[in-house]
Amino acid sequence: MVRNRNNYNMQVKSLLVAFLLFLSLNLFAQPSGKPLSAEGAKGESLFKLNCASCHAMNVKLVGPALQNVHQRRSEEWLLKWIKNNEKLRASGDKDAIAVYNENGKAAMNVFENLSDDQIKSIITYFKDWTPAEKKGPVVDPAAPDQGFFSDNTLYILLFLIVILTVVLLILRRTKNQLQTTLNDVEGVTETEASEPTASQSKMAAFKKKSNPTIVKLLVGTVVALCLAVYGYNFGATEIAVQQGYAPEQPIKFSHKIHAGDYKMDCKYCHTTVEKSKQASVPSVNTCMNCHKGVQLRERYDGEISPEIKKIYAAMDYDPDKPNGQQFGPNPKPIKWIRVHNLPDHAFFNHSMHVKGAGLTCQTCHGPVQAMPVVQQFSTLQMGWCINCHRERNIDVENNPYYEKLHEKIKADKNNKNSNYSKYYTKDGKINVTAAQNGALECSKCHY
Amino acid sequence: MKQNIFIIIGAALVTSLSSCWMKSGGNDTGYEYAPDMYYSKGYEPMSQFSDSSKYRYNPYFMTMREPVKGSVAIGQLDYQYPFDNTAEGYEASASLQMPGLTLNEQIEGERLYGIYCAVCHGEKGGNDGTVSSKQATLKPSWANYQDKYVKELPVGKIYHTITYGKNNMGSYASAVTPKDRWAIIAYVKRLSMMDSLGNMPKAVYIESAPVAAAVVADTIKNPEPATPANSSSSTSNHSNHNKH
Repeated sequence: MVRNRNNYNMQVKSLLVAFLLFLSLNLFAQPSGKPLSAEGAKGESLFKLNCASCHAMNVKLVGPALQNVHQRRSEEWLLKWIKNNEKLRASGDKDAIAVYNENGKAAMNVFENLSDDQIKSIITYFKDWTPAEKKGPVVDPAAPDQGFFSDNTLYILLFLIVILTVVLLILRRTKNQLQTTLNDVEGVTETEASEPTASQSKMAAFKKKSNPTIVKLLVGTVVALCLAVYGYNFGATEIAVQQGYAPEQPIKFSHKIHAGDYKMDCKYCHTTVEKSKQASVPSVNTCMNCHKGVQLRERYDGEISPEIKKIYAAMDYDPDKPNGQQFGPNPKPIKWIRVHNLPDHAFFNHSMHVKGAGLTCQTCHGPVQAMPVVQQFSTLQMGWCINCHRERNIDVENNPYYEKLHEKIKADKNNKNSNYSKYYTKDGKINVTAAQNGALECSKCHY
Repeated sequence: MKQNIFIIIGAALVTSLSSCWMKSGGNDTGYEYAPDMYYSKGYEPMSQFSDSSKYRYNPYFMTMREPVKGSVAIGQLDYQYPFDNTAEGYEASASLQMPGLTLNEQIEGERLYGIYCAVCHGEKGGNDGTVSSKQATLKPSWANYQDKYVKELPVGKIYHTITYGKNNMGSYASAVTPKDRWAIIAYVKRLSMMDSLGNMPKAVYIESAPVAAAVVADTIKNPEPATPANSSSSTSNHSNHNKH
């Protein structure tokens, strides 16, 4: 499940755990398991200031993990490397060049400003540092980010407020009725019942002055207006607007891993996006380009990853069989669930937008390379389309698609009667929006 | 007056709750009014239908169907590929010759190489792509494109490899059109001519002559289907998308 909309318990639990964790000292990302020496503590603060943006102790970030680095390298080497790694590399030190190459040739910053003593205390921190023992519940990193005012909590709070208000009103009403009954029984008229307080008498004066029908009408209008605005807003932004729809797919394919971590181009898989109306869902042979080799057995005790097994099942492929017999006779299509859906009466062409207008996929689909599960990013409502067509300039000068238009505009530059001459701004630049080029005509999208 | 207040509060309660369960998110598409407007009666690509009487023609309720065997996509008649996916076919493919390519086509080839090939073969053919540098099984066996092996590899064999795949490399026939394959090969050949300073020729095989040896219309043995034989197309399931 992507969103635990209904799982309120989970939410409360994770909130509680987060709160407890917050209370119980863990402000640092990677605290040492054992207490540090005074020197080590000094090193720790220096580490956080200078190194922590690229290094962690037990995980590789931009730079390598630094646990036990004092055993891998001599202190002398570390001193030189941290101070000025460029110099060390230039001097032809083999280890230094190897480290540089292993880490994708991303050069480490030079720290000439650190004194030898400071670097030594950082090295003491390396020596002192031990991994923290795992204890107690750990917040599942895969759990969705649930802030305090996530949708659910807010709705539940609202709900409680409304319920409590209703209870309050009922109680007041009951009390009033009881009072009236009491008064009836005792034969006391209302005026005698109690001395009116200052505010009550003011209220009574106001009630006398104002016409009750007008007050009712006023209140009614205000409420009706509020409801109407709410209803319109609801209809316009909620009904059949599937923004945020993130269905669970039959294979847990992660765009974050493929397009984000591995930086594969969207078009590697969605091949037809530049040629056709549709940005196709790739056929399984595209998966097999890599997953014939990538089986992740090292992570599953020698077994193939269960998700990759699903690809093989779709292909009827068995990698353990001898060559030539690996592909069986019964391939089955994967039932991917379509996320983005436009109604039948709206025409949309991917190639026109990607190849013609040169938009990136992310313009409409959002940061897909950061989504483990794809969700609909934009509203896909007509207003959203139109807005972009109004605002976006088309690049007539550099885009070969608009070559003819560009020539016409250039030819009519000084012809005041021509529409094309209006595309020139005062400083002589061409400024054409998609709308000016006809992108607002009804029949462009509805026919 | 009190009665009115109750009605108002009730209405507010219903509306605020309604927005809670009508909103889309997760597996839920949210509330829809007149869903017939949103889900097409006609078949749309990348989706499914539920009429079981059509199953015979559209297996697995897919709206897509494999093209009839031997059908040729518009504009691809000149590019029928005459060789089989066998060792002999691979050797025989050496006889294929590069058709002439315009300068624009070669620039396009460079771009396409960046999309389809660079993930494993690297931006400059150094086999240090974003994927192959992390996944050892996807690293090609030679060092880089400046290797003697690639320099002397006939263009036809590269074409054969892109079409059918080789070793751990899969077929790119469904992704790259025949014309684009030649454009990519031109870039590969340019990369193989790159010197140690990173200089390489701006273009190769510039010819205005019509397509040459690749056209062997008479000897077609195995017309290349629009989708490779082993690919099973994917569909999406739209039936559970509806919420009435």
